[in-house]
Amino acid sequence: MKSESRKQALRYFFQRVVDPLGYKFSPDSELVEFCLEQEVLLERRYGVPFCPCKRITESRSDNMKIVCPCIPFNREHFDAMKRCWCGLFVRKEVTDPDSLMQVPASALKKG
Amino acid sequence: MLVEVAKVTEIVPGGIKDAAVNGKKIVLCNFNNAFYALERKCSHRGASFDTGTLDGYILTCPLHFAQFDVRTGEALSGPVPPDAKHPTADLATYPVTVEGESIFISV
Repeated sequence: MKSESRKQALRYFFQRVVDPLGYKFSPDSELVEFCLEQEVLLERRYGVPFCPCKRITESRSDNMKIVCPCIPFNREHFDAMKRCWCGLFVRKEVTDPDSLMQVPASALKKG
Repeated sequence: MLVEVAKVTEIVPGGIKDAAVNGKKIVLCNFNNAFYALERKCSHRGASFDTGTLDGYILTCPLHFAQFDVRTGEALSGPVPPDAKHPTADLATYPVTVEGESIFISV
């Protein structure tokens, strides 16, 4: 199976999920290619395209919350950052993804 | 040899229909009003695609969710969970011709 074809298929599926949530693929195409490549590898190993930025644990319920796109499980946090953990997805209004900062979830709760 | 297998109106966009021609079991798919014919048996464990799902150009096996590109027959992903003992190969495809309201395939 070719990685490139699977990446295109993941793009197709993800686009339909994130669009109604107000997100889009990052304009940083190099980052998008890299993240999707990692997800293809994770999918081959685990059968599921997990978020490449998060640790897979022995807890199935926790793992299911990091299946890409994990926006619904981290909505408040991602909306505040205007991006997901990896930067694979950004809010639709974002044009300069490099300007976005990662913010720890703990900082959001305090603020 | 061209064989009529269905009418255009029998398969709506996003639809799947099974057919059999000269002993070959085939699944017909309508992606954006273009028709594609593939072997009906999943290359992983032999499940029949007529109860699978077609999402855009991606055909998903009903048994273990292996996915294929209906335009080319290319295997896009293997089963869930991964199954190293039974590799997932590309599917055979058959040329499709539409004439008037009829769909023909060449087998």
